[in-house]
Amino acid sequence: MKTKKKIGNAITYIVLIIISIIWLFPFFGLIMQSFRSYDPAVEYGGMVDYIIPKHFSLDNYRFLFSGETNFLVWYKNTIILAVFISALQTVMVLCVSYALSRMRFKGRTFLMRFWLILGMFPGFLTMICLYFLLKEFGLTQSGAIPGLILVSVASSGMGYYVCKGFFDTIPKALDEAARIDGASRARIFLTMIIPMSKPIIIYTALVAFMAPWCDYVFASYIAFGHDMSYNVAVAMTRWVWTNDYQGYFTRFCAGGILIAVPVTILFMCLQRYYVEGVTGGAVKG
Amino acid sequence: MGKAKSQTMAERGNAVANVFKNIAVTFKEGDWKTRVSYLIMGFGELLRGQWLKGIALMLCEAGFIAYMISVGRKYLPKITTLGTEVTKKVSRKTVYGDNSFLILLFGLLSIFVVLAFIVLWYVNICENREEEKLLKEGKKLPTNQKVFLSLFDSNFDKTLLAIPVIGIFVFTVLPIVFMICVAFTNYDKNHQAPTNLFTWVGFENFKNLVTFGSSGFGTTFFKVLGWTLVWAFFATFIDYFLGMAVAMLINKKDIKFKKLWRTILVVTIAVPQFVSLLYVMKMFANDGLINGYLLKWGWIKQAIPFWTNPMLARITIIVVNIWIGIPYMMLIATGLLMNIPEDLYESAKIDGANGWQMFRSITLPYMLFVTGPFLLTQFTGNLNNFNVIYLLTQGQPQSMKLVEKAGSTDLLVTWLYKMTVNNTNYRMAAVIGIMVFVVTAVVSVIVYNMLPSVKDEEGFQ
Amino acid sequence: MKKRVLATLLSAAMVLSLVACGGAKEAASTAAEAANTAADTASDVVEEVAEAAEEVAETVEDFGTGEIKIWVADAVVDFTNDEVAKFMEENPQYSGYTVTVEPVGEGDAAGNMITDVQGGADIYAFAQDQIARLVTAGALEEVAPENVDAVKSQNDAGAVGAATVGSTLYAYPLTSDNGYFLYYDKSVVKDPSTLEGILADCEAAGKNFYMEINSGWYQTAFFFATGCELSYETDDTGAFTKANVTYASDNGLVAFKKMIELNESKAFQNGSAVGEATNCAAIVDGTWDSGAAQDLFGDNYACAKLPTFKGADGKDYQMSGFGGFKLLGVKPQDDELKLMVCDALAAYLSSEEVQLARYNEVGWGPSNLNAQQSDAVKADVALSALAEQLAYTIPQGQYPGDYWSLATSLGDSVRSGELKSTSSDDDLMKALQDFQDTCISYAQ
Repeated sequence: MKTKKKIGNAITYIVLIIISIIWLFPFFGLIMQSFRSYDPAVEYGGMVDYIIPKHFSLDNYRFLFSGETNFLVWYKNTIILAVFISALQTVMVLCVSYALSRMRFKGRTFLMRFWLILGMFPGFLTMICLYFLLKEFGLTQSGAIPGLILVSVASSGMGYYVCKGFFDTIPKALDEAARIDGASRARIFLTMIIPMSKPIIIYTALVAFMAPWCDYVFASYIAFGHDMSYNVAVAMTRWVWTNDYQGYFTRFCAGGILIAVPVTILFMCLQRYYVEGVTGGAVKG
Repeated sequence: MGKAKSQTMAERGNAVANVFKNIAVTFKEGDWKTRVSYLIMGFGELLRGQWLKGIALMLCEAGFIAYMISVGRKYLPKITTLGTEVTKKVSRKTVYGDNSFLILLFGLLSIFVVLAFIVLWYVNICENREEEKLLKEGKKLPTNQKVFLSLFDSNFDKTLLAIPVIGIFVFTVLPIVFMICVAFTNYDKNHQAPTNLFTWVGFENFKNLVTFGSSGFGTTFFKVLGWTLVWAFFATFIDYFLGMAVAMLINKKDIKFKKLWRTILVVTIAVPQFVSLLYVMKMFANDGLINGYLLKWGWIKQAIPFWTNPMLARITIIVVNIWIGIPYMMLIATGLLMNIPEDLYESAKIDGANGWQMFRSITLPYMLFVTGPFLLTQFTGNLNNFNVIYLLTQGQPQSMKLVEKAGSTDLLVTWLYKMTVNNTNYRMAAVIGIMVFVVTAVVSVIVYNMLPSVKDEEGFQ
Repeated sequence: MKKRVLATLLSAAMVLSLVACGGAKEAASTAAEAANTAADTASDVVEEVAEAAEEVAETVEDFGTGEIKIWVADAVVDFTNDEVAKFMEENPQYSGYTVTVEPVGEGDAAGNMITDVQGGADIYAFAQDQIARLVTAGALEEVAPENVDAVKSQNDAGAVGAATVGSTLYAYPLTSDNGYFLYYDKSVVKDPSTLEGILADCEAAGKNFYMEINSGWYQTAFFFATGCELSYETDDTGAFTKANVTYASDNGLVAFKKMIELNESKAFQNGSAVGEATNCAAIVDGTWDSGAAQDLFGDNYACAKLPTFKGADGKDYQMSGFGGFKLLGVKPQDDELKLMVCDALAAYLSSEEVQLARYNEVGWGPSNLNAQQSDAVKADVALSALAEQLAYTIPQGQYPGDYWSLATSLGDSVRSGELKSTSSDDDLMKALQDFQDTCISYAQ
């Protein structure tokens, strides 16, 4: 019996190790490529069919920080986007969730159903329309960053499900008691519910924070060729797809690492809250 | 069922009739302040000392009038034709005529503004009636301070929801209505605003969608739709079961470093997809790392066409998606699996059940029950999973058998995207967008009614 | 000094041509004066002639103020900035305008211009295959009448043809190098004259041969080689009126079979970007990649015209293809003065001097006839390979946007194995017939 268990465990370990290797292999490749110099005197910046560079060099990283490209601007843009979207979106979601969870008003179910239906329309459909709408306010091209923040935040109220689910689990008796003591709704919301909702606030903020790092489609549409308004995803995708950027592949990898590392570290630190959020969201739908 | 429906219809009819009756009665019975309020919103409220409400309503009316004069007047009358004045050349100068795009956009916005104004006007009348009634009964009207403070208490929902609702209206509802309208116009590369006008064409685009043959979209549409559904099915369920399996492996009692294994897997969620997926795309290319090494080691004679063979490309996408999807499911399953009471398994063991049987009769039903809604959202999410497809294949390979740049791995959304961005074929993109909605809605309704947690509320207590 | 003499000669030639044309009689006298002040550069003269010809403008001194946005490929952003600064220095009358240069690749530029003309750049570079689309969408202004003759006389005929839709000149030719030829590693490929030989050499060395067969641009190398035709006629609005397509023929079949054969050979890889080619010993690519190709092949860098191939009918065919051009366009303006400035700037950026400077900077082959005759350009390995190939290519005319995606579909059908060497002639012919019918259907 014992040996059987031991064999079982050994197999499990082997499977887990294989899985880990498969999972980490692309990242390993990415890191290795980022150390391959693009300088033809040293090595070559295009695609190659080996993983380990022949000479390790920091040329790609140097390039990104050298000011030859606007990488730092794109990076700064993305951080601004992420911070603002994260903060404002969290506020919006909390407001909507509280109203829908705690208050009963005319049109509440209609609103929820209506938003659910809206969510079934594909987002890209409205891209061209949003572009011209933002253009009317001067929020495209050089104003693309505030424009993107506005659009991302404006519609974020529809993503209330997880947060409302969490609020629903906070006993209503607490509210009732406070109201008997004469506290207003706003007071209850600000001083009771919000402090109790730290996990869900962190979850909401974290998810909102991560999204702008991958936003390629809409961001490129709104920036409309204005280089200084690109986020990292828009700017760097060009290095892989467009023929204007030959031999930029290793630089793409280096940039990718610089983006992935801080985001990953942040994610790992707050992983606990993320798990709580997705699990809660999954179960309640 | 039919009876109930006709009843609600009748109720609605009554409600509308009531509204008109209310308006008429209030005018007849109201004092002069109320009557003036029919023209100048908030007038009655203001004179009765309710200056907070009164000023707010007056400002709304002023804003409405300003909007209609500056914007609405320009666009609203042209919405039936979407503009008639063509762009001209005066010597070398270009004088742009009507911009159909802006006419449609701001025409729609104006319609909504007018509707909102009518509602507000009616609210204004009801307020007047209400106030008169209170005063007649000799009661006092609430003080302005009270009205204001109610926004943070009994009317707190209005405060909280005002900005989100307006935001969603302007940046989601209006654009969606706009694009639905575009589906009934001929807005495409030959009718590109501002140089060219576009106009209403009725159901022509929808006819095109179901036209089969060389120029129609029919064949392509159903092929793409088919793959979209197949993809969503596999992407959802393979990830679901494999993720659960991995979670169970890690959850096994004697396995150490649980946190480490989980962390390794979770990296794929944390790293932005445009970095990881673009790299993976390159890895699987015909001349990429994987083929390169396989060739070098002599395992294969010719590069495996991971992305160029339609069937293989589809399989590769599903496989790569496992790489992304498992960690997500693993995280969810880990917590849930621990919620299953241990004694269920103990008693099963005593009954002589083996691992598989326990999984089938305890774990799986529990998981399916609890995660039903999650599966549904996953499925609809995968129907619209743009990133994975677009970053990996951009929908390619294309085929002579498909029209409008559609490729064998295109989902409806990626196809829609390509139509919008590369071909500026907005009219058909809008039609496809509506179809995506229809498909999502139909799937949601069907699956929702099949969910065990909906069918059987008490199921797993 | 040499340049100045050349400039004087050129300006004199221009004046002559103007007089000869008789299109700008008033211009002649002013232009003659301009020629006398020969200290100026050629482009300056072009401007002065231009101004003189502009009757309305007479002596416009105040061009107003405004912003001009230019979109060019990232590689030439700095270069363009420098040239714009020079232009502004030489033309203080335009100082009211601020010019910004932004890196938007040629493909994206055309797409963006069509999406939103008013938000797009005032002057932008694009590959010629986009021109009909741009004209239809109203994103291209006609070349200023005073510049038309200069553009037509100074650039090679192909480039002028590429910039013309119907009978109207819509853009300023920028380069004449948008064609393709063979880059190869001379340590691997011993004899680049036949396709079969190149493939054998590559296979023997375990290296790859790259060509982008799922592109409507590269595909024609096969079809035009065997004598197939594919061309369109356009009217002045950019609409396609007639199509001449003979792909569904015996010749087409020979070409198509070769394409399939190539796809199935072990050393073949689909692609046309040096930076994305791995383990590459030969690639069919254009001059814009010459720098990257030199990096890749190092000392073994070599160029040649495209090879010949042996068709299924036993005959040898020389691979053909498109000779294409990059163009500089000015978008329609609602301010006539700004349009004049834009035209002057575009004329300058596509002038002989700037084309040469651009060649020196990034190696783009000029479309200007004089620039083409310069020693540096003539000595360029890549450009001479292109010139050699040019004898076998067809100047690329106007094609509907749908053609390119259709051609990708045809290429993908081959790459995906939907059509392979074991497919029957009937199946192949049917695909070609479909292709041809669809091509014809694009012309109304």
